[in-house]
Amino acid sequence: MNIDWLINPLLQQLNSGVILLNRQFQIAYINPYICRRADIKLEEVQGKELFSLFPDAPKAWLTRKLDSVLSLQSPAFSSWEQRQYLFKLPHLRPVSSTNQYMAQNCNMLPLTEPTTGEQFVCLLIEDATDAYVYQSQLQQSNFQLQQINRLDGLTGVLNRSYWQQQLEVEVQRAGRYRHPLSLLFFDLDKFKRLNDDYGHQAGDVVLKEVAKLIGSLLRETDLFGRYGGEEFAVTLPDTPLEGAIEVAKRICQRVAATAVEYQQQHLAISVSVGVSDFNSASSVNGANCGDTLIQQADLALYQAKRNGRNQVISYYPELIDSLKKVKP
Amino acid sequence: MTELSFTEEQRDCLQELINVAMGLASDKLARFLNTFVHLQVPAIGLVNAADIPAQFRGQYQGLNSSMISLGFFGDGGLRGETILLYQLDNASKIAALLGYDDDANSEAEMLTDISSILTTTFLNGLAEQLENSFSYAAPRIIFSRDNDFISKLEQTAFHWQLALQVDIRYQLTDYSFDCNMILLIPGEAVLKLKTILDHVLAEF
Repeated sequence: MNIDWLINPLLQQLNSGVILLNRQFQIAYINPYICRRADIKLEEVQGKELFSLFPDAPKAWLTRKLDSVLSLQSPAFSSWEQRQYLFKLPHLRPVSSTNQYMAQNCNMLPLTEPTTGEQFVCLLIEDATDAYVYQSQLQQSNFQLQQINRLDGLTGVLNRSYWQQQLEVEVQRAGRYRHPLSLLFFDLDKFKRLNDDYGHQAGDVVLKEVAKLIGSLLRETDLFGRYGGEEFAVTLPDTPLEGAIEVAKRICQRVAATAVEYQQQHLAISVSVGVSDFNSASSVNGANCGDTLIQQADLALYQAKRNGRNQVISYYPELIDSLKKVKP
Repeated sequence: MTELSFTEEQRDCLQELINVAMGLASDKLARFLNTFVHLQVPAIGLVNAADIPAQFRGQYQGLNSSMISLGFFGDGGLRGETILLYQLDNASKIAALLGYDDDANSEAEMLTDISSILTTTFLNGLAEQLENSFSYAAPRIIFSRDNDFISKLEQTAFHWQLALQVDIRYQLTDYSFDCNMILLIPGEAVLKLKTILDHVLAEF
């Protein structure tokens, strides 16, 4: 059977783009797949230089590729993963896709006309928009999962493991650049009684509201995390002890001045805050500085509780001795 | 294993065809890349694909390496995969070699570009010697900038147990850049290759 008749309808209906270029990169043929998407007519563009027809195509790079196809007589490839598209063409995924142009895979093949021996390069262009869209969605999901993995489900602040991990990063940075760094540890006063009196749902509402309120008092760069049940921690980069105490006092005052509403009742709340800073911690033990910061802030917090709650105490070395007295 | 192994004649024939293909490739590459390309006469052998990671261990251990794969199909049931291994200390040399600006092209694109140039040029020559022609799949980066790649290679499920290993070293004098190519041909295709080699031998 003679199949010459097949070539034309196949090129007409092929669901891939075909662009045939001569050695001067002038258009010898473009199939309807490309013509329709680029809104051009074959007879009007035949003989025109490729880059005059597609001025946005990456000229230097593509020229080098096409040269390699001609001189080595071996194929070259371009993948959407490395280069999203060669030619600005629309795609047929208007709703599901946010990217404007068709993502493309391209095969560049050396061809020789059998009678004249003239050499051509054939570009075969495939629509890879679906793959591109799926991958973008995957990346987005991964990002969201990563976020979820870093945040505390109830309050939306950083969870303990991520907060602690970031504390180490900040401690190293502070050490390297000799920047100040402070830490706040705070705890909701008499939270257990609140849970007992009003139920755990009330407790959850209080935790959420307090986290929201305190979050609004912090800077973008401060790292706010939930350390345990009703215990929270804030890493304050580039902040010396005095600045940290000020922040802590503001938190204390604002929380005490705010009543949380729960089922038409106003719940009075307060927090106790312990403060430590990088200087005192690093002088004790340079290696486990993050842990030392946490321990010192925790000791200060404990002292704030003992002093009657709803107040700020910053760490001082004698606190260690007081600890020993309390827990012989 | 025994029916897959080459006779001495088949082996010599393949070695010779590969040598010729490499000669053709280095000539073409030299003209295209404007530098002298030295291709070492390769060692060929049938290997157990599972042994390949261990072989690379000594050579590439602890280095930042990239591995790029490119599959090919020919007539008569011939098919395979080439694997190119690069040490990435010389990424900028590859960029210079290809005439790229460092910034405008991603490293990934540069690696796939150089890989398809190096492999298809050689394989086209080999196909010619075998009176065959190959079509190629787009190159694929298996991993890049990975100094723990041996363990990944061990986990990479090769599609075949037995493979024809052809180690080729591309050395380009002006750029002191080299990489290794391994040509993997699956067991069924090795049988086809033997038939083709017998055909070539019969013609002499």
